Amino acid sequence: MRTTKKLSGAVFYTLIIILCILWLLPMVFVVLTSIKTNVEFYDNALLTLPASVNWANFITAARRGKVFLYMRNSLFVALFAVPLGILVQSMCAFAFARLDIWKSNGVFAFFLFGMMIPMQSLLIPVNIGMTKVGLVNTHIGLALVYIGIQIPFGIMVMRGAFRSIPVELDEAGRLDGCNNIQLFTRVLLPCAKPAMSTLVILQFLSCWNELLFSSLLVTKSSLRTVPVGLLTFFGEQGTEYPLLCAAVLEIVIPVLIVYLVFQRYFVEGMSGAVKG
Amino acid sequence: MLPALVIYLSIVVVPALYSLYLSFHRWRGGSSQKVFVGIGNYVQIFTQDSTFRIAIKNNLIWVVLTLIVTVSVALILALLLNKRFIGRTAVRGVLYFPYILSGVVIGMIWTWIYQPQYGLYNSIIKMINLESFKHSWLADPKTSFYAIYVAALWHNVGQPMVLFLAGLQAVPKELTEAAEIDGANRFQVFFRITIPQLKETMFIVYATQFISALKVYDIVKTMTNGGPAESTNTLATLMVRQTFDFANFGVGAAISWIMIAILLIVIIPYVSKMSKE
Repeated sequence: MRTTKKLSGAVFYTLIIILCILWLLPMVFVVLTSIKTNVEFYDNALLTLPASVNWANFITAARRGKVFLYMRNSLFVALFAVPLGILVQSMCAFAFARLDIWKSNGVFAFFLFGMMIPMQSLLIPVNIGMTKVGLVNTHIGLALVYIGIQIPFGIMVMRGAFRSIPVELDEAGRLDGCNNIQLFTRVLLPCAKPAMSTLVILQFLSCWNELLFSSLLVTKSSLRTVPVGLLTFFGEQGTEYPLLCAAVLEIVIPVLIVYLVFQRYFVEGMSGAVKG
Repeated sequence: MLPALVIYLSIVVVPALYSLYLSFHRWRGGSSQKVFVGIGNYVQIFTQDSTFRIAIKNNLIWVVLTLIVTVSVALILALLLNKRFIGRTAVRGVLYFPYILSGVVIGMIWTWIYQPQYGLYNSIIKMINLESFKHSWLADPKTSFYAIYVAALWHNVGQPMVLFLAGLQAVPKELTEAAEIDGANRFQVFFRITIPQLKETMFIVYATQFISALKVYDIVKTMTNGGPAESTNTLATLMVRQTFDFANFGVGAAISWIMIAILLIVIIPYVSKMSKE
């Protein structure tokens, strides 16, 4: 019995290790390439270490690819869109979960339908609208679009999270003299931390990675966000893979930080989405 | 609630309805006249557009692959990770990691894995002396679409995996333990206890994966842009092509409403389930 258990343990770990290698291989490849010179890259077999680490790639990539400019732009959009978006979504979810509102389920369903609308179909109308109100080529305009797109999913997750908080907690709060706003900020929001962390990760990711709206609404090169900037850089550098890899690694850092900071609650927070 | 409603209406609902309006018109963009053509755009798409047929077939393949392969892989990974073992969080991080990269980055990395001369795939094949398996995956219309799918699998599988993990953690331990005491073997526990308990999660995973599979865009755009010879177009890439490359705004809008119509079929049960008490 014990030996079979040990054996299955070994099989299990081997399986896990193989999986990790498979999943990491492409990234290992990117990292190795980013520290090679262009000549080394085209000379050597792919998974070899270069003679010496060529840090200069990171500096050249950052300068030529204007990586920091694009990162600053994206960061601005994300810092505007993510907190504001989550606030708006949780307020709305609070109304659905706790307040008596007219046809609550119907209105909620109306919000959920937004999840099926392909973003591409919104491009032209949103562009026309944004031109009319003068928000083309502004980060605020782009951030508003991101908030709008995220609303259905955010509301769904937050509503699920609020509903899993026992109503007794509300009642206790009310006895202590909380009004609706205090109930929302002091009682429900702190309890919904895991769900909020999940939303922070997911919405930060989508702000950071969104390509379509960004390329259409922001045409001024100094205002470009990361994906558009990166695509331009790919176009310019074509075959200088080491430089491209260095740029890729640089832009991954901020998302990685957000992911690592908020991932503690990640799986737990998702349960808001699966329980409904 | 009001702010959410206002933003939602102005960014999503009204533009979507406007695109429905556009889909009944012929419009070349800019200041040119919008001509009302009724369902003309739809008729044209279904009867004359051969690329549309390719795109819808591709989308169908993509949806089937996603619902069968991606979801199964995600479930298997989640089951593996649901065990307690040293380094579990790290492994979970590794498997989820690709999901945080943007479609542009994924596209670049994988275009290059498949690159015939210097690419990772062909280099490994060379290393282990299997020259006959050498192939330019992306350049061959027969394989390019599947090649993109493999990249997408690597990219996306973390998402349903995390959903499954969240669902698995909600399965009460007592239930599986009781079954084990009653002499159920692992498979019985899995099929009789775990799967039924995961029903809700399954439902959500299938619905969200279906939606995103139908909308697939970024990765195709960056890896092949619909080529070679339009063979890898999906509805979303075709729609953008019609709109921006050919300035057929009406046709583009019509394609997007065809997508919405297909999605409606799935989303109606989904929404009615989610919004139930």
